[in-house]
Amino acid sequence: MKKKLLCTCMAAAMAVSSFGCLTMTAAAEEEPVTLTVLAGQSTTDAGIEDMIDEALAEAYPNITLEWECVDWGNDFQPKMQQYMQSGLPDIMIGKAQDVATYAPQGILAEIGSEYLDAGLDAARENVTIDGKTYGLVYNALYQGVYYNKAMFEENGWEIPTTQDELQAIIDDCNEKGITPFASHMVDTWSIGNVTMQFMMNDVFNNDPTWGDKFRAGEVSFSDSEEAQTAYNYNKLIYDNTYEDTFSLEQTDCDARMVLGEAAMKVSGSWSIQNFLDIDENFDFGIFPFPNQTGDSKLIFEPNITIMTSASTEHQDAVNKVLEVLTTNKDLAVEIYDYTKTASMLKDVTPTFANPSQEDIDKYAADGMIVDVTLGNNQLVWGGFQEENAKDIAAWLQGDATFEDALAASDGRVDASSAG
Amino acid sequence: MKKKKEKEEMPTKKGSWPVQILMTFVAILYLFPLFVIVNYSFKTKKELYLESPLALPKSLNLDNYRAAFDKLNMGVTFLNTVLYTAVSVFVLAILCGVTAWAIARCKRKFFKFCYVYFIVGILIPYQALFLPIYIIGYKLNLTNTRYGIIFMYIATGISFGVFLMTSFMNTVPIELEESARIDGCSVYRTYFSIVLPLLKPAMATLIIMQAFQIWNDYLLASLYVSRNQLKTLTVSISSLFSAQSSDYTTAMAAIVISVLPIAILFMSLQKYFIKGMTVGAVKG
Amino acid sequence: MEKKMFRQYLLLVIPGLVIFTIGLIVPLFLSVRYSVTSWDGMSVEKPFIGLKNYIDLFHDKEFIDAWWFTIKFTIGNTIIQNVLALLFAVALDSGIRAQKIYRTALFVPCLVSALIVGFVWLKMFSNVLPAINDFLGTKFNFLLFGSSDTVLSGLLIANNWQWVGYWMLIYLAGLQSVPAELHEAARVDGANAVQRFFHVTIPMLAPAITICVVGITTGSLKVYDLLVSSTKGGPGRASTSVIYQTYTTAINGRQYGYGSAMTVTLVLALLLVAMLQVNTLRKKEVQM
Repeated sequence: MKKKLLCTCMAAAMAVSSFGCLTMTAAAEEEPVTLTVLAGQSTTDAGIEDMIDEALAEAYPNITLEWECVDWGNDFQPKMQQYMQSGLPDIMIGKAQDVATYAPQGILAEIGSEYLDAGLDAARENVTIDGKTYGLVYNALYQGVYYNKAMFEENGWEIPTTQDELQAIIDDCNEKGITPFASHMVDTWSIGNVTMQFMMNDVFNNDPTWGDKFRAGEVSFSDSEEAQTAYNYNKLIYDNTYEDTFSLEQTDCDARMVLGEAAMKVSGSWSIQNFLDIDENFDFGIFPFPNQTGDSKLIFEPNITIMTSASTEHQDAVNKVLEVLTTNKDLAVEIYDYTKTASMLKDVTPTFANPSQEDIDKYAADGMIVDVTLGNNQLVWGGFQEENAKDIAAWLQGDATFEDALAASDGRVDASSAG
Repeated sequence: MKKKKEKEEMPTKKGSWPVQILMTFVAILYLFPLFVIVNYSFKTKKELYLESPLALPKSLNLDNYRAAFDKLNMGVTFLNTVLYTAVSVFVLAILCGVTAWAIARCKRKFFKFCYVYFIVGILIPYQALFLPIYIIGYKLNLTNTRYGIIFMYIATGISFGVFLMTSFMNTVPIELEESARIDGCSVYRTYFSIVLPLLKPAMATLIIMQAFQIWNDYLLASLYVSRNQLKTLTVSISSLFSAQSSDYTTAMAAIVISVLPIAILFMSLQKYFIKGMTVGAVKG
Repeated sequence: MEKKMFRQYLLLVIPGLVIFTIGLIVPLFLSVRYSVTSWDGMSVEKPFIGLKNYIDLFHDKEFIDAWWFTIKFTIGNTIIQNVLALLFAVALDSGIRAQKIYRTALFVPCLVSALIVGFVWLKMFSNVLPAINDFLGTKFNFLLFGSSDTVLSGLLIANNWQWVGYWMLIYLAGLQSVPAELHEAARVDGANAVQRFFHVTIPMLAPAITICVVGITTGSLKVYDLLVSSTKGGPGRASTSVIYQTYTTAINGRQYGYGSAMTVTLVLALLLVAMLQVNTLRKKEVQM
């Protein structure tokens, strides 16, 4: 009797578990094509999948996207590693620097020029390898020093273009009891991020192939004055930021800045959402962190980048998705407004209020803009920049010497490139 | 067994007041972080930034709970988690029971070996084996399927289950089984009709311990079921902890939702659970 | 007859054995295989390089530091958790009122995922507890995750908050099974409360102590989830555990072969520690 009961239970349990699978296959049969999509997202991107689904359903109701949204920083690379063992999803959404990581493995397909032509030329360069473009760059982030406009006006501070000018503002801040820089070094990624910003303007600006030379053994962190300058700016920030920066999280850090406790923050567009969440009237601008030569450029980072599998069985459907993404301008604007990012499509402009847009336009008009993918491709994030940031943190905390940090970065030369 | 019952009914010791006060203090300290979670889960973003973290929310607004349901697709993820947990735990209970019983009753060397073999599994940090675990799963068509993740939960949970059940088997009187067998019962029938009913406390312990581990699992679920339609609660909540996250009131609401069911399970099985634990602690 | 029963028992064991082998043991052997290659975790080739990875491990400062952190974390946990769990168990067993409420309060945190525990304590240390300073006008340093000197104590607090209640239940179960007559007899012999605790209670708890010590040690050596959502191994590398280091090496650093060598050493260490502990503790149990 008992046994029978158990058997029934067991069967029921199995039925339940297979029921889940059955409904899935049934759905797939109704629709002619289901494409798998791996999306490596930042939190600010989460939610765009629904917008894309909706637009796609209108244009091509026969195509269904099976989404797999993961955190780009933590999970995108592990997932890609897994899929390289088992076969890639049809579409992958990552960052521009992923192209340099995965395209050399021969697993990405070229993107058709009809889709690429809808995008800005500026985005293409760093996702192109040997003349073939493997990524469609959809939007971009800007990185630099965000500053409190009202505070700058009140105190009569001008936008600094040299280190001396910046130092003057810092001194004035300290005198007036204002924290010069907001920062949240508890997030090691933020240290890595600002270090690359510094490297872009003090190292890559003068020597666009510094990373390749580093691998060739021609330059090193221990010998390069410029690289050391870039590392040293971290100290400048650390000496002029909140005392509890190693315990302070981004949201609290941004909140304090909005409330007027700090004047500037070296950051990127992802902070905009935070700023406006706390106070929709907060007025801020952006300028590039001044370098030694006084010719810093504002940094832009191609963000959402669409890649496709070289071995997909549904190339037509994949192309239709690309078509929707590149031609549906309402969708594009919706996504840019939602993520508070800049457009990388021709003739599409987001409509959200971005107080820093004025500054961005100014730098763009002067040609003072540089794509950080240049640096990220030569010195990769995972395994190199990310690890260096940990050494920098240890140095700032006094657990390692500056020389240790430099030597550790040099010792990691083999991990500096994905190839 | 009987003696213990008497003891519970008539406490022979009287507690002293200092101990009572001290433990009250400790319990409050322990509950404080839980209070913080619940408190945060009702706060609005503005309250979060502009007011003291200790301040109570002005109203019990449920926006964060709504946002958690929406953002994390909770209808689906919640059901997924329930399904994975329930099926895995059910199968584990059956499997660990019979395996441990066979190991305890059959004195051959092979079964001794099996015991050690299973125990070693407790020590293997499967966290460090994720890529081979994935590769195996892929080769057997287990990845991105519901039965695949259930398979893995069984594989990683069975070690502890067998260990627990084997220690418990010593308390099951062998005479009953022998007389059943003389009456002509098969091995299987003996197990299900004689032994299984006696295993209740151990089963309760097993069920609770495996249930809360599977319910809370992050690594295996993120390896095997990261598709949006297959995700579990913990995996989807973890996305709110990521680098540029700004949304921790929603995260707190999601945490409350995810902890409640397992807390309720514990409360309702507590009596058996604690009995089961006694066995492990006393008999080793 | 005997043979038939053997076959029936065998049939009962086999399903579990197969699932366990496929799900855990085969991956372990795959890991051993990868550990002698320089595989990056992505490409098709897995070049064989012999024992080079294992030799490199001994010169890898980051890996050695990760072991140091893990060992300190493990020792801290083993001592604090055992002592606290035992003390709380004794306190609850002393016949205080509403024992069940205390028991539940202490146990509930271990029902929460370690990932969530890390996240919650990050908030506790950085926001909530400093607010208590503001409230009381005190100046305790609660920013424990913010400095390499204090991050270990912060993590120990978080981990103990989660697990003490669990081990306490085991001790409590052990305590309640100590026959009252033993205490009586000791009392008649003139032993005071402290003497009774060390000469009656502790020996009777020996099996529970074995379970708790081995469980806490091996659990702490495997710490990973807790770090993912709290310190991320920082500040710097101050709280990077062996598994955390393995993960970043194998995945982010694209050195899967090398990372696998780390895994294999960890498994060996875990087996060794558990065997040593079980042997010594069991011997003690017998002696007592």
